[in-house]
Amino acid sequence: MSAVSLSHVSRAYDGARALDDVSIGAPDGCIVALLGPSGSGKSTVLRLIAGLEPVDAGEIRFGEEFVSTPGRTLPAEQRRVGMVFQDYSLFPHLSAAANVAFGLDALARADRERIALGWLDRVGLRHRAQAFPHELSGGEQQRVALARALAPKPRAVLLDEPFSGLDPVLRGELREMTLAALQEARTTAFFVTHDAEEALLVADRLAILKAGRLLQEAAPRDAYDAPASHDVAAALGPVNVFDSRCEGGGVLTPFGRVACALPEGAPARAVVRAEALSLRPGSTASVLDVRPHGAHDLVRISAQGAVWRALVPPRSAPGENVDVEIQPAGAFSFSL
Amino acid sequence: MTAAHDTAPVLATSSAPKAMRALAPHPLSALAGLAALVCALPAFAVIFFALAPGADDAAFGGALLRDASLGTLGLALACGLGATCLGAAAAWLVSLCEFPGRRTFEWLLVVPFAAPSYVLAYAYSSLTWAGASPIAVSGFWGGAFVYAIGLYPYVYLSARAAFASQSACALEAARSLGARPFDLFARVGLPMARPAIAAGAALTIMEIVADYGAAQHFGLTTLSTAIFRAWYAHANPHAALQIASVLLLAALAFLVFERSARGRAAFSGGSVRWRPLPRYGLSTVAGAAAFLLCAAMIAFGAALPLFWLLRLAVVHANAGDLVRPLFNSLALAAVGATITLALAGAIAATARHAKRLGRVSLFAAGMGYAAPGAVIAMGALALFGAAREAGLIGGVGAALALTALIWAYAARFAAAGVQPIDAGLARLSKGVDASARILGAGPWRRLMKVDLPIAAPSLAAAALILFVEILKELPATLILRPFDFDTLAVKAYAYASDERLAQSAAPSLLIFLAGLAPIILLSRGIGKLRAGAR
Repeated sequence: MSAVSLSHVSRAYDGARALDDVSIGAPDGCIVALLGPSGSGKSTVLRLIAGLEPVDAGEIRFGEEFVSTPGRTLPAEQRRVGMVFQDYSLFPHLSAAANVAFGLDALARADRERIALGWLDRVGLRHRAQAFPHELSGGEQQRVALARALAPKPRAVLLDEPFSGLDPVLRGELREMTLAALQEARTTAFFVTHDAEEALLVADRLAILKAGRLLQEAAPRDAYDAPASHDVAAALGPVNVFDSRCEGGGVLTPFGRVACALPEGAPARAVVRAEALSLRPGSTASVLDVRPHGAHDLVRISAQGAVWRALVPPRSAPGENVDVEIQPAGAFSFSL
Repeated sequence: MTAAHDTAPVLATSSAPKAMRALAPHPLSALAGLAALVCALPAFAVIFFALAPGADDAAFGGALLRDASLGTLGLALACGLGATCLGAAAAWLVSLCEFPGRRTFEWLLVVPFAAPSYVLAYAYSSLTWAGASPIAVSGFWGGAFVYAIGLYPYVYLSARAAFASQSACALEAARSLGARPFDLFARVGLPMARPAIAAGAALTIMEIVADYGAAQHFGLTTLSTAIFRAWYAHANPHAALQIASVLLLAALAFLVFERSARGRAAFSGGSVRWRPLPRYGLSTVAGAAAFLLCAAMIAFGAALPLFWLLRLAVVHANAGDLVRPLFNSLALAAVGATITLALAGAIAATARHAKRLGRVSLFAAGMGYAAPGAVIAMGALALFGAAREAGLIGGVGAALALTALIWAYAARFAAAGVQPIDAGLARLSKGVDASARILGAGPWRRLMKVDLPIAAPSLAAAALILFVEILKELPATLILRPFDFDTLAVKAYAYASDERLAQSAAPSLLIFLAGLAPIILLSRGIGKLRAGAR
């Protein structure tokens, strides 16, 4: 294991920028979630760290060692990183045990088998050691892929949407298991997801990308509580948006006031998390509809022609009139 | 560590480990470049040497060229049309209708592929002479019949694939609008499959244009037979080269046509979701007619000639006479297939890794494939002749002739190997290759432990296809073989030329049977075989 850092990394495909001046640092043993929509460049970050592609600008370091600089790329096979691919990419002609042992060819045969079986045991698949990939379920393939990536004691592990093909229940279980295995191996890990909840749950650090640019890199709590932009706030959960001006130290929305540090009169955008709204019986807004959303209800409310969404305990009914309060911790303002 | 780190990360070069390097080109690239040269050089040589001024009788060359062009054109039109009608009709029947025996016909209809045209020609000639043939097969129409019945599988396969990939929804919509089976075929199915049928027809015509054995046997003047006539009968190599270059250009034109039709066929597919096609249950009478058509195509394309050759061979074969040619054929096909497989593999792999070089070598392989055997042989001869004049090689030893022959096979058939290998490589997802690299496997280990084992079934299929193609090849073998070096194909040809058709039956039969092997293999779906399945 070692710290991994990207500084000012850019990468273009046929002239189109996939990554633009991205810097991310992962201290030793840290789990970094790369969060962003499709095409944001998160998978490119993994491919660059893995050495599957060269950087066009900037550099990547493992600890003190430069592994990628423009024109010089330490080949993937010499980097000692582990990677779990979205489709798992197990070797179809090798058994589960042989897949896990593939990266251990420097060891003696007996050690190879012992370590491979040990890892299969660790992910609960000892009894499937001789099965071929096409005989394994999706979840089992994912676990073999994880064991295969971790077995050679990599300096860093890269996971590309490792749970995306699985059903929600299995997904939760595998996430727990993967997290435990990563923590036990104390490996620096990068993992790509477009699921905000998953990112907040798993990561020590959060890197939020959009269209090849890094929007914010922070601890999950900090990114949630102090987003750097509207996009960052929206990446971590449903938000309401209202464009106006900063007047008297705040933006006045139809549902209440949001503090604003911009100069008086400057155009400003108020961004309010759905879970930062609370409702009580009143008269300023009316409830349009109510949909169950886990333990809470997602309630659409309307006032002065604007429609917002609130994530609140299930108490409201459509047609009700309510007063709205904005909790300052989940309300932000940005200059326009 | 050095102080470089403290000053600036820009000094990456000074602190870079020695193992660092720019991402290297794929190690197979050099081999793919060689393959491109091997495939394209004979074809280029034909044109180059044909354009060179030669002291020859222009009037003679011109007249022969005109007659041969007209002969080839007429033959291509007549049998191209016949093969297209047969192939498209059969494909429609087995893809979209239901009648007795349909499932069996679906793969049996490919069997006529097994026999090269010259073997069918010899079989039907001897049938006709023996008075056992239901139709007299000789002359122009004899040739047209043999080509149509032997080559329709090109159209059949291409059209069947197109019908199978058509949108079930469009066909169902047409049925719900009241279209009867023939309407459905003429107004919906056929127009949608037209590019694929055209591509199949182009391949058929390429084969007809390239064929030497059958045309020669029926005494037809085509570009292929004219090359031999100019070369042997008139000892006029320059005229032969000129005819060869016309033949090459004609074949290339059909190749380009085929590629563009194939490209359009790829985009004419229907809905994304695959569903079994809705089938029409044919009435008793229509079903019987469909059964009879398919049965007749198989009977005339394969069963009848096969059984006739078998009968003749049992009565007339002289085993002692066949040992040597059989051994020569097997050895030549084995060596040729191995070398061709290596080149085809390099091309297929490079086409996936390095787009530009891949495209160049794919084009070169396509050019070699389009060029008829006689043309490739002329090109190889011209190249070796030029090399001898330049003093690069000496003599006319058997080894040299065999080298030229193997080269001709590789140039001619590399493209035939690329496709099955590519299908095998398609199963190597990018992720698998990346996984192996990330787990520390270098290029050699990736090739031996990952790529080859996964692609092995496809490689085996490709090897078999190449082996049989080389075994069947006649014109290039005739031109380039060392003196007194007989193969099965040469033996069959030689006996037939001497009007000893009964004796030619045994080598013809062996070629026919060898041709059945890849067809049986393909019909059993080797492509579906999964690596690792036990």
